Amino acid sequence: MLYLFWLETLRMLRDPKYLALAVGAPIGFYLLFSTLFGGGRTVPGQLPGVVEIAVAMAAFGAIWSAISTTGPRLAEERQIGWIEQLRSMPIPGWQVLTAKLLASFVTALPAIVLVCLTAIVAKGASLTLGQWLSLVTLIWLGSLTFSAMGILLGLVLPAELAFPASYGLYLAGSALGGLWVPPSVMPAGMFDVAVWLPTYHLANLGWAVAGGSAPPLLSVLNLIGWTAIFAVGALTTFRRPRLRRRTKLPT
Amino acid sequence: MNQVDALALDAQDVSHRYGDTVAVHPLELSLAVGDTVALLGPNGAGKSTLIGMMLGLISSDSGTLTIDGLSPRQAVARGRIAVMLQDTGFMPGVRVAELVRLGERSYREAISTTEALRLADLTDLADRRVDRLSGGQSQRLRFALAIVANPRIVVLDEPTRALDVTARSEFWKTMQRFAGEGRTVVFATHYLDEVDQNAARVVVMDAGRIVADGSPDELRAAGGTSSVRFSSREPVSPEAMRALPGVERVLIAGDMVTLTSGDSDATVRALSVGGLAWHSLEVAPPSLDSIFRTLTDHHAREGAE
Repeated sequence: MLYLFWLETLRMLRDPKYLALAVGAPIGFYLLFSTLFGGGRTVPGQLPGVVEIAVAMAAFGAIWSAISTTGPRLAEERQIGWIEQLRSMPIPGWQVLTAKLLASFVTALPAIVLVCLTAIVAKGASLTLGQWLSLVTLIWLGSLTFSAMGILLGLVLPAELAFPASYGLYLAGSALGGLWVPPSVMPAGMFDVAVWLPTYHLANLGWAVAGGSAPPLLSVLNLIGWTAIFAVGALTTFRRPRLRRRTKLPT
Repeated sequence: MNQVDALALDAQDVSHRYGDTVAVHPLELSLAVGDTVALLGPNGAGKSTLIGMMLGLISSDSGTLTIDGLSPRQAVARGRIAVMLQDTGFMPGVRVAELVRLGERSYREAISTTEALRLADLTDLADRRVDRLSGGQSQRLRFALAIVANPRIVVLDEPTRALDVTARSEFWKTMQRFAGEGRTVVFATHYLDEVDQNAARVVVMDAGRIVADGSPDELRAAGGTSSVRFSSREPVSPEAMRALPGVERVLIAGDMVTLTSGDSDATVRALSVGGLAWHSLEVAPPSLDSIFRTLTDHHAREGAE
């Protein structure tokens, strides 16, 4: 399984789409947003813009990294018959999913770290080393929620739909979760939605740490809750054999 | 290896249906260690379903199937049996050698990746991305992923489908190199010309049943004469059949009896006055068409699939 995990990681790092969307895009958006809105403090008593946006974009990159390395790939692999090839080899399904989950977890880290480094180097965002480390760790761990979501999407969606649907959910979740418009300036109705979304809570962990507080329990619980929902969904789907088989084998 | 009567595969009363469609009627099949067996039959004959059952990818609705004395999934897990399925895909974005190494790491008694690549004639393509292989190259990679297991039984489902003539003959050369060491080889194919050179035994399937089972010579001998074929609900004694006028050869598979006869009229006359409760009697005229056609041509008439 170790080797399967290694292959999964290797191919993600070779994939230009991963690099562009999960690593490049958040850095680009960070530079854009922080230049436009990063000047002052977003709200009295709140974080400096360059930090608030750094956290949001680190989460933004981590989420896409987690979803893109699971969902669309898994759906494609089901369609092209790679999963079937694996089934004919002594590699059990749980190992296939675990390897994918771990690889997705590992490749989420560069997306998070590079946004933070950009914030420090290009915009002079300043936090203590301890704050940087703990917010990176929290967002990294929280990205597992989205890997679980990706695996569920990859098991449920047909290959043609998997990429657009994942990307659509990602963008909508990010916008509604306050990664583009800070939650503090959101209209009340929108904020009511945000507080239910894992996207909001992932960033909220980082915002809290950057603001000098402990990670809010509610955000931790929210992410664990979503992870449980996605995991149960994925396991239920995975155990239904007709979905594991790509198509009925020809008689 | 030491047991003379060791069975590589032993299927008793296995069957499978998809919904209302019976893919494989209950059948029996045993393969001895070292057998090279061609599984022949038209599309929809049940070959792929039978292969799926050998690997435990499809469960049998009845009976038992053992591979080297193990259940199919155990046999796969221990690398005793390995398969080359039709049209499976590869993990996108990795290289040929990397994928074969995944096989090497997965099987207990694997041969080295280098050796598997050499046997599959892929050494020069080791660093090629798997998504950039031609059809023939992909097929060789599927082959490499099967043989890297160092299996005692290797199963190939239409391994030369979609290959051109040169690629087909290359493939079989590779296969023979690999099989020459007492391994059991089972392959499904549509191409009769592949059977003679590569199989000592031919199992013909049609509409989910085994309709003939013998050496290529036995089957060919049947091809030049008339064949009389019928079904019987009661056991048929081969001796009694051989005693009928004109009968040269008798093939019995399940309830399907095929007689090759130099004088089909006499054979049928004798059958009609005999006590046997046969039904669905068919007489195929002498023809240059192969025994394969003779054995499986009811398909066209029934218009099934």
